[in-house]
Amino acid sequence: MAKRPEIYGVVAEFEDPNELLKATRAAYEAGYRRIEAYTPYPIEEVSEAVSPHRNRLPLIVLIGGIIGGLAGYALQYYTQVIDYPMNIGGRPFHSWPAFIVPTFETTILGAALSAVFGMLALNGLPRPHHPIFNTPRFELASRNRFFLSIEASDKKFDREQTKEFLASFAPRDVSEVDW
Amino acid sequence: MSTNNPDKPEETTRVPVLRPGYTFGSITDKIAAIALGRKTPIGWLIGFSLSFGVAMMLFYSIGVLLLKGIGIWGNNNPVGWAFDIINFVWWIGIGHAGTLISAILLLFRQQWRTSINRFAEAMTLFAVACAGVYPALHTGRPWLDYWLFPYPNTMGIWPNFRSPLIWDVFAVSTYATVSALFWFVGLVPDLATLRDRAKNRTAKIIYGMLALGWRGSARHWHRYETAYLLLAGLSTPLVLSVHTVVSFDFAVGIVPGWHATIFPPYFVAGAIYAGFAMVLTISIPLRKFYNLQDFITMRHIRNMAKIMLATGLIVAYGYMMEAFMAWYSGNEYERFMIYNRMTGPYWWSYWSLILCNVITPQFLWARKVRHSTTALFLISLVVGVGMWLERFVIIVVSLHRDFLPSSWAMYAPTRYDWMMFIGTLGLFSALMFLFIRFLPVISIFEMRTLLPESKVKEEA
Amino acid sequence: MMDAAYTAPPELDRLQQRALLVGVVALGLTVAGAFLNREQFFRSYLLAYVYWIGISLGCFAILMIQHLATGAWGIVIRRLLESATRTFPLGLVLFVPIALALFGGHLYIWTDANFVAHDAILQDKAKYLNVPFFLGRTALYFFIWFVIAYFLNKWSRQQDEASDPKEMKRKMQDLSGPSLVLLGGTMTFASIDWVMSLDPHWTSTIFGILFMGGQALSAMAFIITMIVFLANFKPMKEVIAGRHLNDLGKLMLAFVMLWAYFAFSQFLIIWSGNLPEEIPWYLNRLSGAWKLLAGAIILFHFILPFFLLLPRKANRNPRLLVTVALLIIVMRYVDLYWLVGPQVSHEVGGKMNAAFHFSWMDIAAPVGVGGIWLWYFLTQLKKLPLLPINEPQLEGALGEGAGHH
Repeated sequence: MAKRPEIYGVVAEFEDPNELLKATRAAYEAGYRRIEAYTPYPIEEVSEAVSPHRNRLPLIVLIGGIIGGLAGYALQYYTQVIDYPMNIGGRPFHSWPAFIVPTFETTILGAALSAVFGMLALNGLPRPHHPIFNTPRFELASRNRFFLSIEASDKKFDREQTKEFLASFAPRDVSEVDW
Repeated sequence: MSTNNPDKPEETTRVPVLRPGYTFGSITDKIAAIALGRKTPIGWLIGFSLSFGVAMMLFYSIGVLLLKGIGIWGNNNPVGWAFDIINFVWWIGIGHAGTLISAILLLFRQQWRTSINRFAEAMTLFAVACAGVYPALHTGRPWLDYWLFPYPNTMGIWPNFRSPLIWDVFAVSTYATVSALFWFVGLVPDLATLRDRAKNRTAKIIYGMLALGWRGSARHWHRYETAYLLLAGLSTPLVLSVHTVVSFDFAVGIVPGWHATIFPPYFVAGAIYAGFAMVLTISIPLRKFYNLQDFITMRHIRNMAKIMLATGLIVAYGYMMEAFMAWYSGNEYERFMIYNRMTGPYWWSYWSLILCNVITPQFLWARKVRHSTTALFLISLVVGVGMWLERFVIIVVSLHRDFLPSSWAMYAPTRYDWMMFIGTLGLFSALMFLFIRFLPVISIFEMRTLLPESKVKEEA
Repeated sequence: MMDAAYTAPPELDRLQQRALLVGVVALGLTVAGAFLNREQFFRSYLLAYVYWIGISLGCFAILMIQHLATGAWGIVIRRLLESATRTFPLGLVLFVPIALALFGGHLYIWTDANFVAHDAILQDKAKYLNVPFFLGRTALYFFIWFVIAYFLNKWSRQQDEASDPKEMKRKMQDLSGPSLVLLGGTMTFASIDWVMSLDPHWTSTIFGILFMGGQALSAMAFIITMIVFLANFKPMKEVIAGRHLNDLGKLMLAFVMLWAYFAFSQFLIIWSGNLPEEIPWYLNRLSGAWKLLAGAIILFHFILPFFLLLPRKANRNPRLLVTVALLIIVMRYVDLYWLVGPQVSHEVGGKMNAAFHFSWMDIAAPVGVGGIWLWYFLTQLKKLPLLPINEPQLEGALGEGAGHH
């Protein structure tokens, strides 16, 4: 493993989402890749600027739904047709119209569970502590402040230059953040 | 999020979804203060103690029921289902409005949902909890309820998947799970806000654990929004399916008054109807006591009144079709069923139902009524009663006189039936009080997106 | 902005001429068929009639819904919807052959006095199912539809010149709410009279809703086809944008799902109940070749359109959208054919005729009625600008579409 840098990174604090967006885009264009923005509410453009990648979540949800549906139907088929067939009111063992209802429910359940746990897994949550919390006034990231971090592990990172680079966007504050 | 829809009818554009003048900070502070305030309002204490006390009636009756069995209820033969299933259907229906407000309105990009979705979802969860009590207890030996689930067992048998009752197990448990997840996912960013703002160390730790370490990262937000939208997309058909399955509990049987193909859409409409009535019943006093008129504006109230009117009309259509088809079918049992509803010993329940559910909502055609919170509060209470009566008519009145006159009987609830029903009302409001006190009643992060300064300007 | 008059493109004239030609020829053939096999003629004609009046009525409902819901999607299709509601006079004229069938004792078994004489239930139901009352009810439905359509169209036309377009808008909105209630009621009873009473012993309380859901779906598919066609030419070329198609596509998906939900609910409840007075209706429709048709309906009326319309990108692709819409237009017909096909009939002595039968008239009649209907619809469409030019929300509805300036 690569040696851990001395600090976690450099973080700039903004008051306005537009300034954050401008700085984020500039950082990406300047070649920084290990950047991350922190905002009090979702801003599509900022997410796009930080990491213009495809989102794998819809695929995970689709697969989860399909597995849920197949498992639901298979369960019913196995229990009602193979393992213990019973004549109930003269209905066929393979009563597909009736089986559709639980299959629908298990499809939704599979998809919903994959949506929630897929999102958490991709986001690496829960993670109670993270170095970004060492940033001064970071508690305002969940209120009304916008933060942009450039991590020290970035190839282009240089403690002084990166600080200057961030300072050039006139943020409220630029700080070094420890591990 | 979405772009502002420029084409709103005139009536609704006059009142915005959020009163102007707020900032990111002031919105956060105002909503968070309700949960983080050090002093518990005296009104809250009184309200909570009262509800909690009423909820004790439920727990007491459950205790007696576990000791003595369901014989303490008024259920008899032929009325094998009565208050238990009436209350189950009533509660689960109420829950539906919460999911619909959250999910369908999100999909339709209706921004007015933002300030009411959180407590509507909470309402869903608590209503489902109240509903769940009944089917769990009505089995008679609730400690064996796990038999309902298909698991390999020493008896070597499985549940019967041709039965709507097992569909119900799947539908309701899926619904409870997905609603809880949807609610919790929506809460996570706000829990992070509470964690960051809490002064009290215990509160900080508890909110901190619940927030899962949320830090508002842009990459996280992106996946979060996708997940939330997908959950909304999944919840919409789910909520429709749940009440459809509930209607199947009756409709796939052949009892006159139960076996009607219109039941699925008509039950779903009835559920939304009762649910929106409940949202109005809660939100009208809530916005007054907590000064939330800037967030839950008259526009919300009016829109909900309109939805109540629309669903009320669908329900009325259902009553009309039941009555007409009973005659048109030429089937003497069907004809007797509707005749018995209108003129039999329970005639009062049918006509009160028509009064509450069909006649009362017609006042909502008047703009004046839709603009008066007092009138709407009263109408929503009447509709709540009406929807309860509807289930009474469907369940008790259909069962008490079916095919064989020699087995006809009357039904009367016992004091335990009433205590359990009133007790669930207490449980529901006690849970609502707890929620209002400890969690943000309005989604803070979504309210931030309603501010004009939240939109970033695209530079060319 | 561009051409503010929004007049219809000349291409519509060509379409209109062709529709008339095809319509007259096919309808002529169908009428000739009446002399070859009268019973078959009436059956095929009813099918064609119910199909096309269904599109007018579906458009009627969507018109009122868009007045109440007010979205950009509604404004760009409003004139199409209004033109469809102005075809009711044609609908009334085209009803004449069905009225003739009633007097001749064709088509509806309950009009046959000999048959009813041996059926106690039908004698009892004759209070409702008798020719004068049937015709009176149909007259009432059309009267109600005429009146509502008249005012909605009149105010919309006046709005184009009005100094206060908002007032007209409010009038249309105020009328739409109660009218939707009236339409729901009349349409339900029309579906019972025209279609359900073909099998006078069978009843289903969801039938009216299922029928209306189908009509809304046909209407939406028709409107999408028309709007994509119009978007090929000026002036609509500059107007119709991805977001309009996106909303219309989503609505079509919603209607596909709703229809499937209603249809499955009815099937599952009757299948589970398994009562002798209900289940034959499905047994006949699930026997022999009808079963294949039922399978095709599940596949092409629900599963395929559902999966084609589900991805978010799909709704912004006009070619795909129009392909799905055309598929639905065809499948709506197949569904009605399956619904109306196996019925009690005179040919087999008043019993259920469950054998699969298909006649050339089953094609000629819908094409003929459809050609005439489309011709009349386009005549109406050309009378007014293609967009409500004075609508207060028009600019907002076009905003992003015409390029944001």
